Amino acid sequence: MTHALEITDLRKSYGGVQALDGVSLTVPEGSFFGLLGPNGAGKTTFINILVGLVRKSGGEALVFGHDVEDDYRAARDAIGLAPQEFNVDRFFPIHEVLEHKAGYHGVPASEAEERAAEALQRVGIYDKRNTRFDWLSGGMKRRFMLARALVTDPDLLILDEPSAGVDVQLRRDLWELVTELNEQGTTILLTTHYIEEAERLCDEVAILDSGRIVTVATPEELKDRGLDRIVVTLREPLSVAPSVLSDDDRVESIECEGNRLVVTARQGGLLAPTLVRELDRGGFEIVDMEIARTSLEEVFVELTNSGVDRPENQRDEETSADDRDREEAPLVTDGGDPADQRGRSQ
Amino acid sequence: MSVVDRVAARTPLPTGFYTLTKREILRFVRRPKNTFAPPAITNVLYFSVFGVVLGARVGEIIGVPYILFILPGLIVLGAISNAFENASFSIFHGRWNEYIHETLTSPLSYTQMVWAYILSSAFRGLLVGGIIAAIGGGIISYLYQPVPIEQPVYLLAFMLVIVLLFASLGVVGGLLATDFDDLTMMNQFILRPLVFFGAVFYSLEDLTPLLRDVSMLNPMVYMVNGVRYGFLGVAEVDPNLSLFVLGGATVVVASIDVWLFKRGYGLTD
Repeated sequence: MTHALEITDLRKSYGGVQALDGVSLTVPEGSFFGLLGPNGAGKTTFINILVGLVRKSGGEALVFGHDVEDDYRAARDAIGLAPQEFNVDRFFPIHEVLEHKAGYHGVPASEAEERAAEALQRVGIYDKRNTRFDWLSGGMKRRFMLARALVTDPDLLILDEPSAGVDVQLRRDLWELVTELNEQGTTILLTTHYIEEAERLCDEVAILDSGRIVTVATPEELKDRGLDRIVVTLREPLSVAPSVLSDDDRVESIECEGNRLVVTARQGGLLAPTLVRELDRGGFEIVDMEIARTSLEEVFVELTNSGVDRPENQRDEETSADDRDREEAPLVTDGGDPADQRGRSQ
Repeated sequence: MSVVDRVAARTPLPTGFYTLTKREILRFVRRPKNTFAPPAITNVLYFSVFGVVLGARVGEIIGVPYILFILPGLIVLGAISNAFENASFSIFHGRWNEYIHETLTSPLSYTQMVWAYILSSAFRGLLVGGIIAAIGGGIISYLYQPVPIEQPVYLLAFMLVIVLLFASLGVVGGLLATDFDDLTMMNQFILRPLVFFGAVFYSLEDLTPLLRDVSMLNPMVYMVNGVRYGFLGVAEVDPNLSLFVLGGATVVVASIDVWLFKRGYGLTD
């Protein structure tokens, strides 16, 4: 079976900085795969290697069996990328930008026109087709990035932080659209640091930290690895915890505080009935019980030992740290404000 | 779909290559105030001041009115400047604003990418050369005589090879530049002096033997000489040798362009 992505020992270093340090990963065809990681983990570097914007230092990366360097044309043809940064041709109205992009992928002009119209309709900005990118609102720009990724009808759609800076409605629209695409057979690789997004959408996630894959699992499996908290309030105080808890491998800690029993354990939902039965058998009357399931976010923080979903005012700074490549070559960044240059033409 | 698109669809041109070339041409064709008006105005001034006002005092050079003598050089100046500027600006602007990623992440071969930039930029050089020829030719025909084209094949060959060469050099410039100032510097401090000392406004015969020998190191001399030969049928340097050297240089520089793209110089990290 051909996988959408087969990555083996992928490495990238920028001078002394190891952005990717031996990443190995397989993304099955047709899956919805999440790549989670804090800013600076190497997610954008990983993606940029796949599309040819970053040259790998070592290892192998195959896209549907095509090597990203030796067979770069076939590999790139299979990918539709919606990057985090806006990198759109500002000389042309957006429908022409899409037509050009489709044309670069070998789509004849007449079909490219149709595809551009369909893509714009699909993301809901068809009425802005004659507008240039700079004149779109922030949300429309994000929609356009998705339209550009879709216009080539990719087998692998890569979404790099698609929800960054978008409102709730747009985020939900995006989720609905990409879910539909995935159901139609498109493989989706999503990078995000919005844990809820990964939890809701992805079949499987890989957690990347400091250029290394920490783990690959389904969101449910990851959550099972975290610790749940069961808080039982009893009618009468309890001096000794039920013995069955001490013998259970899933239990991490037990605290008795008057009439409150607090149990910290993996798979708390499965443990709770046993606990209830044992307390019942001991003649304790349960007044209240609460199970606080561990969240994927907590597991993520534990695995990466860092915070996520930080305040917006920290993001800009961190995003540039994420793109270490940009620090190496300030030319290819927006470095400073090129707005005065954008309209310049020679 | 335009008529050009329909015609192109019937040719074996790869669609990706055709699309990028079309995009590059549309970029400058839709902005005539930035691309065609400046060389037109500048050359009206050149022909008026150097040709008409000062030319009357200079008299004839190599047997033709001064304004006719400078016509080939001004065509070369306009054509190569625009071919160079177009390629260097388009690539650098795309890098600066990162939209060159649209091209780089596409399944075009590196050779196709490079030749799309070269051909579109060479086309702009030819168009500007044509505009200057029309302006100069009109003024000369009105004041003196119709402009002769003694060697049309050579004229066409020289024009093609010089715009291709400078479009290829423009690709290198666009990849090397680190700021917009670099583009200005390349044009104003390297290209323009070479052209002005490339026997545009004077004959090599007017120079001392030493200066004449030094001038022969300037590649512009061969270009201006070649285009002048196309118009007037008079050459100070063997046109076949010039054509051969310039053609060879074009192949070398275009190959360097492809190599730089493959290597990702200035494009990837």
